[in-house]
Amino acid sequence: MIADKKINKLKEIVGGDAVSTAVEDRIAYSYDSTRLEYLPDIIVKAKNAEQISNLFKFANENNIPITPRGSATGLSGGCLAVNGGILLVMVEMNKIFDINTVDLLVDAEAGVITEEIDKKARKFNLFYPPDPGSIKSSTIGGNIAENAGGLRGLKYGVTKDYVNSLEVVLPTGEIAQFGAKTVKGVTGYNLKDLMVGSEGTLGVITRATLNLLPLPQKRASLLALFDKLTDAAQTVVDIVSEGVITSTLEIIDNVTINAIEDYLDLGIDRNVGAMLLIEVDGQEGAVDIEAEIIKKVCNKNNTTSCKLAKSESERDSLWSARRAALSALARVKPSTILEDATIPRSKTVQLIKAINRIAEKYDIRIGTFGHAGDGNLHPTILTDLRIKEEAEKVEKVIEEIFKETVKLGGTLSGEHGIGISKAKYLQMEISPETFGIMKRVKKAFDPNNILNPGKMSFD
Amino acid sequence: MIKIEKGNITNKVDELFNCSRCGSCLAVCPVYRKTLNESFSPRGKLSLIEALSKGVIEPTERLSDILYTCTLCNYCYVECPSGVLIKDLFEAVRLDLIGSKKYPKILDLLKEKISNGKNVTFDSNEGRLDWVKQLPGVNPEDLLKENAEVIYFVGCVSSFSPRAFSIPRSIIKLLKYAKADFGLLGEEEWCCGFPLLSAGMHGEAEEIADYNIKKIKQKGAKKIITSCPTCYHTWKHEYPKIASEKIDFKIMHVSEYLMALIDDGKLKPSPLDLTVTYHDPCDLGRNSGIYEIPREVIKSIPNIKLNEMEQNREQANCCGGGGNLESINEELAASIASDKVEEIEKTGADVVISACQQCERTIHTQLRKKKKELKKKVKTWDLTELLLKSIEAKGE
Repeated sequence: MIADKKINKLKEIVGGDAVSTAVEDRIAYSYDSTRLEYLPDIIVKAKNAEQISNLFKFANENNIPITPRGSATGLSGGCLAVNGGILLVMVEMNKIFDINTVDLLVDAEAGVITEEIDKKARKFNLFYPPDPGSIKSSTIGGNIAENAGGLRGLKYGVTKDYVNSLEVVLPTGEIAQFGAKTVKGVTGYNLKDLMVGSEGTLGVITRATLNLLPLPQKRASLLALFDKLTDAAQTVVDIVSEGVITSTLEIIDNVTINAIEDYLDLGIDRNVGAMLLIEVDGQEGAVDIEAEIIKKVCNKNNTTSCKLAKSESERDSLWSARRAALSALARVKPSTILEDATIPRSKTVQLIKAINRIAEKYDIRIGTFGHAGDGNLHPTILTDLRIKEEAEKVEKVIEEIFKETVKLGGTLSGEHGIGISKAKYLQMEISPETFGIMKRVKKAFDPNNILNPGKMSFD
Repeated sequence: MIKIEKGNITNKVDELFNCSRCGSCLAVCPVYRKTLNESFSPRGKLSLIEALSKGVIEPTERLSDILYTCTLCNYCYVECPSGVLIKDLFEAVRLDLIGSKKYPKILDLLKEKISNGKNVTFDSNEGRLDWVKQLPGVNPEDLLKENAEVIYFVGCVSSFSPRAFSIPRSIIKLLKYAKADFGLLGEEEWCCGFPLLSAGMHGEAEEIADYNIKKIKQKGAKKIITSCPTCYHTWKHEYPKIASEKIDFKIMHVSEYLMALIDDGKLKPSPLDLTVTYHDPCDLGRNSGIYEIPREVIKSIPNIKLNEMEQNREQANCCGGGGNLESINEELAASIASDKVEEIEKTGADVVISACQQCERTIHTQLRKKKKELKKKVKTWDLTELLLKSIEAKGE
């Protein structure tokens, strides 16, 4: 426990109302979407970068860890206070300052909900492309720290492609600016990009300038069903080979389709091997041409049904299955473990088949859906982690999925991060040399290991 | 030695475990959006209830403060990917908090009022028909006739709060225009018991449920109608769970009954040149599934224009007036209402229509407070008031 004197000092830094040691608050700030729990000792709510800077000076002097937290929707434990100490709540820093419609930039504090940025941009006919599943509740600071992805990765990239410049409080207390508000910029090391995806271990992002894009004029949405998974996967590859870069290219496998049918009874044939939800956007004429190409590719690959939405309401109905995928799977069993193994697009079939093989071997249900266009799949393990044998089995299943993924030239995590949940597998993918330099970078930024300790198996 | 009651929650550990802590509820919970305090979010509350069920924490003042800070609007349930029955869990833990005697003390006052006076006010239940007195051409005695096909269950707020009187008065007029065979319970009507149920005081509520059901049966009624969505929800969904008396009559919200009268040609709406928006009360919408009928009633009025709020039906935002929140944290309730008013203003409506006297009051109070900031004056009417204006417009 931390002595009263120190707590009083914290209250001086951020104000009395912004500090809590009540057990109820410590519990409510102990988890994230992994459902793992680590009790912080103190909850501190920051209002600005200066306060955070002072917090770091205090924490270094007293050797107290600080773990930053946005909305705690993360899936790898990045915001969990695994060594206790101060849990730094960022959500009250939630101002959007400015939308620059000429330079296509938005300037916002780290605690802003990502969807709010997109909503505000749309008022000016612009948009913020990254759309992680948690977009309605996650913060932009958390998205940057985890380099969050989403459904539009293939065409629009991920969070890193939209971070223009950052204000960061370093673990040693300095307030630094990384990047410039320009399209190009090569002044010194690219520390801005080092911060993106650093999972809150190198600095606390307090403010960001982000790139926006003009809203596409038109969008076409298609839903295609296939008897065979292999045909669906070939379609994914062929669409891109035909020169069409889709804004959305989602795959849903048979296990997931059955879960969706159990949940919503949409009337989809339960024997369908896989379905693809495909969208293209852009200029009016171009979108129509691309939609035609997609239809042809689907037909060539034996689609049993390929529907093009003719209205917004039809688009809505095409989306209903994909939108329900996670909810449907989540209802099957008490525990839902959402993985994000990612492979080169050409290896989609091999990975899904391997997952199905593993599921059969361990007699466990795994539904797979995800962003086939960019090879980012979400094998979702359905289980009950309260049962010891089940939990042990899940460990083995995850390890095997990761092994297959790496074997196929893929990566452990496409968009969720390493944190603590994948920490022990990190060196399955990266070499000792890479891991070594990562540790040295961490040490250079945070010599006393004050910021977010216990992550990525650095300690 | 404190007695710790947690039987209701330990019965629901499986349901508690279904929460994956994904945080989808944060986006829609009116209390979280205003406080930005995780402890007060649905996910946070569930983590605390789980800790309580496992004996990690004990019931404290702070815990009860957190767990009662909720409008019971149930939007979190709509958004929850795992379909966790969050409101059920909140209600279960309240039973335990009452059992452990750790609950906001203001609830004792509420219990006292209902137990002694049979209504939520300090007034005597004999005043249940005061609102009828200034109604020209209506004799209260006639409304208390021995037998009636339909009993209008007026509810406490509409019976005692002068601001709400126009709702039951409009209903009486409409029912008379339609020549319906209807009656009231008058001073024999007791509070529906919801304030006690939602507080976790079940024992008292069970007695009330049996009493009210018996009274309706004595009138030989085939239907009861309520104008208060909370009374409706309680009659329709709570009484069957808690009452020993069997319900052998139909329970309808007044909007359903009025729509049937319009469909049968017994009420003929005349044109009104108005732009309105409709606010879905949580107990009528999300908690009872009635979204379209009130809209049909509005659309049955020729010339009227209905502009929907950006968030409507299942996604409608709460007005802040639900679930005892106002008595627990008035400031928070008002700040939720203030957001609602901004949504209403964006529709450009002349009038916001609701089908709940509590929503109507909460919204009206905020509209008045924000009068100077608003671009134009927006009125607040109950659905029944709107329909009456149309019926009495006589096809101008």
